[in-house]
Amino acid sequence: MNLKRDLPTSTLSGFALSGLLILTLLNILLQNMPDNIQTAGNELLKLNANEGVANAVTTVVVYFRGFDTLGEIAVLFIASLGLGLMLHSNTRCDIKAESNFMLQTASKLLFPIILLFGIYVMIYGHLSPGGGFQGGVIIASGVLLLLISHKEFEVPHSVIVALETFAGVSYVLIGLIGLLVLDTFLGNFLPHDISQMGMLISGGIIPIIYIIVGIKVGSEMSMIVQNLIKRSDDV
Amino acid sequence: MIGFIILVTFIGIVIVAFSAIIQKRLSDSIILFMGVGLGSVVLFFIFKAPDVALTEAVIGAGISSLIFLMALKHLGESR
Repeated sequence: MNLKRDLPTSTLSGFALSGLLILTLLNILLQNMPDNIQTAGNELLKLNANEGVANAVTTVVVYFRGFDTLGEIAVLFIASLGLGLMLHSNTRCDIKAESNFMLQTASKLLFPIILLFGIYVMIYGHLSPGGGFQGGVIIASGVLLLLISHKEFEVPHSVIVALETFAGVSYVLIGLIGLLVLDTFLGNFLPHDISQMGMLISGGIIPIIYIIVGIKVGSEMSMIVQNLIKRSDDV
Repeated sequence: MIGFIILVTFIGIVIVAFSAIIQKRLSDSIILFMGVGLGSVVLFFIFKAPDVALTEAVIGAGISSLIFLMALKHLGESR
């Protein structure tokens, strides 16, 4: 293999330069490492008990870093919007061949189970692993199964618009109510008693926000998948 | 025993990832990429990160590979 021909000199020198920078940074970090770096998250984990949520990861994602989660679903919304703008057209013609009989029958059987599992992961996000993002994507993969197996199936656009608007508006509204009541954005204004930890209704606003995130992610991912599959050829 | 499982999974991930980049056909690479995601799910679960394992199983091994496959289908049509 001729290295000089396959990799241009600028690429190689770029690799070398970035490697050198990373080594320098690592050296500085290792020399000035604070002593308590292993216990950096313990303060937050102590605060976790105050919210009465069994899954500590959910408390971090939805409550301590709730504003970041709002930004993340905004990023997903922008991705869905860009894909819709690039691929959308009125003439829908894609899957020419009828899909397999087995796939058609099995998808009718499997779709309710996938939907149920997605909703379970969404609602139990504050008690067990999983949550809004995962549940939403599971629901979107169920929609993908239906889109592959049934030629004429299509998620109604008005339903997606209604769900996504509802989810986005209610996320911001809950955050603003927290700002009014407790002086912090996304403050936990509902009762969250520590004795209720592990119950389905516990943790105040945290399960509600995770369900909202699940609705938003599910509708956005379904729209992305549908735009990719039902794209017409002439775009 | 658990260390042996971790070692085997890790070596398997490296082998699958390397074979994914030397495939001639892109669709084979995407299927092997799903294998890399599957191995990482096992590793995440052993390292006591079930949240990350579920996310990786759903997003990394599941829907992103399917989106890659759909994009590849459209690329093949326009070529």
